[in-house]
Amino acid sequence: MGRWACVLMAGLALVGLTPTGAVAGGSSASLGEAEASSRPTPRPMRPAGERRVVRVPIPTSGPRTLDPAVGSSTYDNRAVVQVYETLLEYSYFERPLQLEPLLLAEMPQELDGGTRYRFKLRDDVYFQDDPCFPGGQGRRLVTDDVFYSWKRLADPAYRLENWARVDGMIVGFDAYKDEQNERVNRGEPFDYEAPVEGMVKINDREFEIVLPDANRQFLFKIATFQMAIVPREAVEHYGTDRMNSHMVGTGPFRMVEWLPGTQIVFERNPTFREVYYPDVDFDAEDRRRGFHHSVGERLPIVDRVEIKFFVEATPMWLEFKAGQLDHTTVPTTGFEEAFYERRGRVLLNRDWLRREIDYQPIALADFIYRGFNMNDPLVGGYTPEKIALRRAIAMCMDLEEINRSRYNNLPVIYDGVVPPGVDGHLPAGSLQPPNRGPDFERARALLREAGYTVDQSGRVTDLPPIDMYTSRGAESEQIVEMFNRNMAQVGIRMNPRYVDFAQLSEALNDGRAPMFSLAWGMAYPDAEYNLQLFYGPNAAPRPNAFNFQNDEYDELYLKIRTMEPSEERTAVYRRMQEIVNEYCVFIGSQARVRQYLVHPWMKNFKATEDFYNYFKYLDIDMSHPRRPR
Amino acid sequence: MASNLFQSRSWGKFTRNRFAVVSLGVILAYLLVAVASFVGVITLEDTQVRVLPDRTRGFLESSDLDKRSRDAQWFVERTSLRVQRAELAPESYERLMSELALRERRVADVPLERMAELIERAESQLDDLYDALDDRDEVLDEILFIDLELRRLGDSAEDAALASEMRSEREALLARVSDVDAAAETRIAAVEATILEIHPYPGGLGGLWYGVRTFLGSDAQGRSISMKAFYSIRIAFQVGLVVAVVCVIIGTVLGAAAGFFGGWVDYFVMYLVSVLSSIPTLVLLGVLVYMFFGHPLFDNPAERPGLALVPVYCAMCLTFWVSTCRVIRGEVMKIKNLEYVQAATSIGFGRVYILFKHVIPNTAHLMFINLSLLFIGAIKSEVILSFLGLGVKGQPSWGVMISQAKDDISVMFFWEVVTASVLMFGLVLAFNILSDALQDAFDPKHVS
Amino acid sequence: MWAFIIRKILYNVPVYVGVLVLVFLALRVQDPVYQYLGQEAGQEQIDQLRRSMGLDRPLPVQFGIYLREVVTFNFEAQSWNQRGTEVGEILKRSIVPSLSLTVPALVLSTVIGVFISLIAAYFRGRAPDRILMIAAVLGMSISFLVYIIFGQFFFAAVPREAGLGWWPFAVQGYEPWIVFGEGGGVYPGRWVTYCMLPVMISVIVSMGYDTRFYRAVMVEETGRDYITTAVAKGATKPKIMFVHMLKNAMIPVITRVMSTLPFVVIGSILLEMYFGIPGMGREIITAIINKDFPVIQAFVAVFALIFIASVILTDVLYAVVDPRVRLS
Repeated sequence: MGRWACVLMAGLALVGLTPTGAVAGGSSASLGEAEASSRPTPRPMRPAGERRVVRVPIPTSGPRTLDPAVGSSTYDNRAVVQVYETLLEYSYFERPLQLEPLLLAEMPQELDGGTRYRFKLRDDVYFQDDPCFPGGQGRRLVTDDVFYSWKRLADPAYRLENWARVDGMIVGFDAYKDEQNERVNRGEPFDYEAPVEGMVKINDREFEIVLPDANRQFLFKIATFQMAIVPREAVEHYGTDRMNSHMVGTGPFRMVEWLPGTQIVFERNPTFREVYYPDVDFDAEDRRRGFHHSVGERLPIVDRVEIKFFVEATPMWLEFKAGQLDHTTVPTTGFEEAFYERRGRVLLNRDWLRREIDYQPIALADFIYRGFNMNDPLVGGYTPEKIALRRAIAMCMDLEEINRSRYNNLPVIYDGVVPPGVDGHLPAGSLQPPNRGPDFERARALLREAGYTVDQSGRVTDLPPIDMYTSRGAESEQIVEMFNRNMAQVGIRMNPRYVDFAQLSEALNDGRAPMFSLAWGMAYPDAEYNLQLFYGPNAAPRPNAFNFQNDEYDELYLKIRTMEPSEERTAVYRRMQEIVNEYCVFIGSQARVRQYLVHPWMKNFKATEDFYNYFKYLDIDMSHPRRPR
Repeated sequence: MASNLFQSRSWGKFTRNRFAVVSLGVILAYLLVAVASFVGVITLEDTQVRVLPDRTRGFLESSDLDKRSRDAQWFVERTSLRVQRAELAPESYERLMSELALRERRVADVPLERMAELIERAESQLDDLYDALDDRDEVLDEILFIDLELRRLGDSAEDAALASEMRSEREALLARVSDVDAAAETRIAAVEATILEIHPYPGGLGGLWYGVRTFLGSDAQGRSISMKAFYSIRIAFQVGLVVAVVCVIIGTVLGAAAGFFGGWVDYFVMYLVSVLSSIPTLVLLGVLVYMFFGHPLFDNPAERPGLALVPVYCAMCLTFWVSTCRVIRGEVMKIKNLEYVQAATSIGFGRVYILFKHVIPNTAHLMFINLSLLFIGAIKSEVILSFLGLGVKGQPSWGVMISQAKDDISVMFFWEVVTASVLMFGLVLAFNILSDALQDAFDPKHVS
Repeated sequence: MWAFIIRKILYNVPVYVGVLVLVFLALRVQDPVYQYLGQEAGQEQIDQLRRSMGLDRPLPVQFGIYLREVVTFNFEAQSWNQRGTEVGEILKRSIVPSLSLTVPALVLSTVIGVFISLIAAYFRGRAPDRILMIAAVLGMSISFLVYIIFGQFFFAAVPREAGLGWWPFAVQGYEPWIVFGEGGGVYPGRWVTYCMLPVMISVIVSMGYDTRFYRAVMVEETGRDYITTAVAKGATKPKIMFVHMLKNAMIPVITRVMSTLPFVVIGSILLEMYFGIPGMGREIITAIINKDFPVIQAFVAVFALIFIASVILTDVLYAVVDPRVRLS
């Protein structure tokens, strides 16, 4: 025991000497010196017996692609960011989320009132070694790589899957996309050399991006994994299609094996630049979890990451319990085993506490709601009668019951459209009148107000059934059944249409669905991302599936896009949500809570589902007595 | 043709087989339940509404303290929520209380004040229970702490005194365990008694029916496992009968035609048979189900549960007639050369007439055997298809039940899986014995 | 002999074409593009996908392309669900996992089945025979799913959770146990970990069916003349059973094994799904569930090909054993 303490102290002392600025190292170096800086010395894996291996699950069949330009799901994200890097990342230990430079030497410099940004790349970033490079040795990252990677989003070869993310973001980018797509349609090749007005190269390390307006979301957008940097050599060597399964990046790991549907394996990238575990101001909780013990260690700490895919929740749960996985999320079936409720609080089961399992619940940035199509002849419209009808329907919704019987009472219920943890969030009860039930008497009164007849038994007689579009699956069927049970109390008939996601979005795009049930995840932590759902010009087939039109709202929306974070902006967020609430455009809202259970041998794991490039910080105590060998 | 069959010697042989007669009885019993569901005794709604708290164990298996307190909490909370609302709007009290009914088991018919009193009592009792549980946890934690310490000390001699002191402390704590357990036990019993006052078991016929609903426990959503399982019998018969009958008809007609006419008819039928049997059954079933995927007509089980089964029927019918066709064709090729058929031909009867009048009736025994075999095949395939998410949708079936409940296994809750499996086992076993007996009696030379 | 083989193959060519037509049409009853398309699908994207799969061309042309892919065994189309992966590649990588289940399962179940059936036939009509046959019927009546679910739970999950570190079977998953190419090798340990439990389950499931069949075969053989001759010559009963009879019963056994092949494939679909083994069965079911049209189309063609090949092989084996067959 004593010996260990000594070693620990010595380690900490050493850490104290390490300049914490190592992360941003070399930022002051001039360009000439940067040219001279050589490739990082390779840092091989630990010898076979001492390798540290992370084994974590993904509770689906895993990623569908490994190419950032076509990736969309969070599962694609998990795989992509281990190898590819973005210019900016979220700092691992900060909550609420905070951007910090990743491939950049420093945070981008804001010019011209936020319409121009100057970027400076780190000079020690090299692509991993790969046969696609001359001599098989990874090359240094340059400005052109950034432009090339972003231009890929405009290339029809990638089916423009992620174009919406950069639409209208950079001056001249839209024109470039249209022009190039025209060329491709004419049978000519896509020209990556053609300039984009707003992408200004200064030299190999510095560049500027010009925005059409002082858009505050720009930096968040370039931190999404679709904007990660991919070397041109790889795309040209392997072809656009092979990039879905072959990775050549700058990140801490390189992909060594992908068995689709089974697992994906990463190993330490030996030529990853020299960066160290940051020494930040750890809060008490972080210290209790021992996050500070790794300060100063070179990243990545582990040698190998095995991500296993589980279509079925039960095997994942069983493997976690058997110690074959380092952490897991708790599936519905595991809830009873893992937790107990006492006096309304969810507590980790004592047996699990005894096994030193760490419990980390996190609220996801979800916006789960049931929406109305404002153009629908039956439930749409802006007149008081129509609003009353929609509110009557809302009064039949018992979110608490759904929460309790389907989600172990975990999801957060809130007002408005901004999930918890994001500026502009309104906790339940903030908005009047509330658009949530159950309150059947109120529903009946509202139905009368809307001009319908409610008979003796308290049931409406002349309201035709309403089509409700929702995704297929046992889960949503259960929820609709519960919803229907309540609607029956006042005689509203709901006609559930269970459709696949594709068909659902089709129905939304052509305005066929009077009512629909959707879950909307946030791509970056800014209320703007969810508020765009009600912006008039965004009407279907753009994200405003409600087809909501309101001049005041649209005006405010344009205003917040360029506003600095401030109390004033928060007030505008509130006003915008009040407008939507007045018209009762949707019934909601819920945000799921994800429960992470972590085995004691997994170190430095701070649960999040907002970003996934934290694997480089993780560590495993391979000799922990409870860890099965 | 049936009367011929029943008078034959083979029929006599069949009825002398005790196993066969018993299994016939079993099948009839199943059929009875299926009919009950058809005429509306067990409705789809019965399988969907809540009758108990989630995942309640069935008869003879008692739940542990944690589960019992969770259930008690569930009962109290949902009632309390409504009582609070009713206190704000007394006129809606009755309606609110009727929302709480678990089918036959309704909330006690008492005035609002009395109900509020009962709830208050239940809530305070629940609080007592929590205290008792907290005590219990404390004791258990202390024991655990001592265990860990003891393990850490190991056999080292210098701490022997400390260790023995801890051991005696552990003994004392162990003695307390039964005390705290008993305390928690009495308190949970008190809460449960109050809950029974609020939510009494129904008497009479309703009570009996509620007993039927609950004797096998409830699934993860508090729905009756027994009702789901019984309803599934109907689905099994629906699928089994439709598929078996359609397949036997198609198979017999095509097989007999092929065997009897020979020539290009035979070639064509055998070609179809070869094509269909060249694709593994499950793959063919999957592809055929894919054909119907997402079609609005067959894809709205809530409204049209019957039509939602059509893809399954079609897929199985197209796949399974092949085996019958082969068998019948072989038999007809033998019959064709028998004297009476030759005689009928020479008298000048039409060929089609002979086929239907003289040939097909003489394959009746094979039709029966195949009916039975196909029935088994259909049920088993339905279960597997549903399990893979390609079969029955929007209503319970054994496959759906097993696939929904397979996750319960990991928390040692076996009621749903076992119920579905046992019921299915019974029916399939009965049909297996029946098929064997039929085969022994009517087609003794056949190999398997 | 060669003439016979060629005749058999020629006969099966139209059958195979029939299979292809059937699959081809079944998959186009509903527009596969409409069935599949994912998030944010615009008309542009629909057209793109339709073009890239050649689904905008006339049906006969499409069929021609399909035929060419099958004949050249070159499935170049890309999976819709696993972007950038050619169907051929999926096919290639899923064969070994599938075979590591089916081959051992088939061999084991045949050997054990024949052995048990010989015992049953030896004691024909007496207690051991009856017990075995009742057990077979009972075993046949239990759903495959029950074997799988409880097998996994009690023989993998429970011991693993109990902390038995040495317990050989994993709950689910797969790691390649035969690695080709550089740094390759054979790791039997991995096979035991991931494949052995499914194989055991598969063997137990097929036991009921196999035993009944083989017993019937054996019983039939007992009535043959050569047995009478052997008895007359004074051979002992065990010798007759295990030497003379077994040799002669080989023909039905071979037929049986061949005709079980599709069953084994089906069996392995469920096992692969449940144990997460990335074999052909799992690939095709996942493809059906995900509406991954190119994969379904190619896999069904390959399955059918395997099946037809096994039918031809059976016939040929038959002909080798029994020359009379060749004349028919």
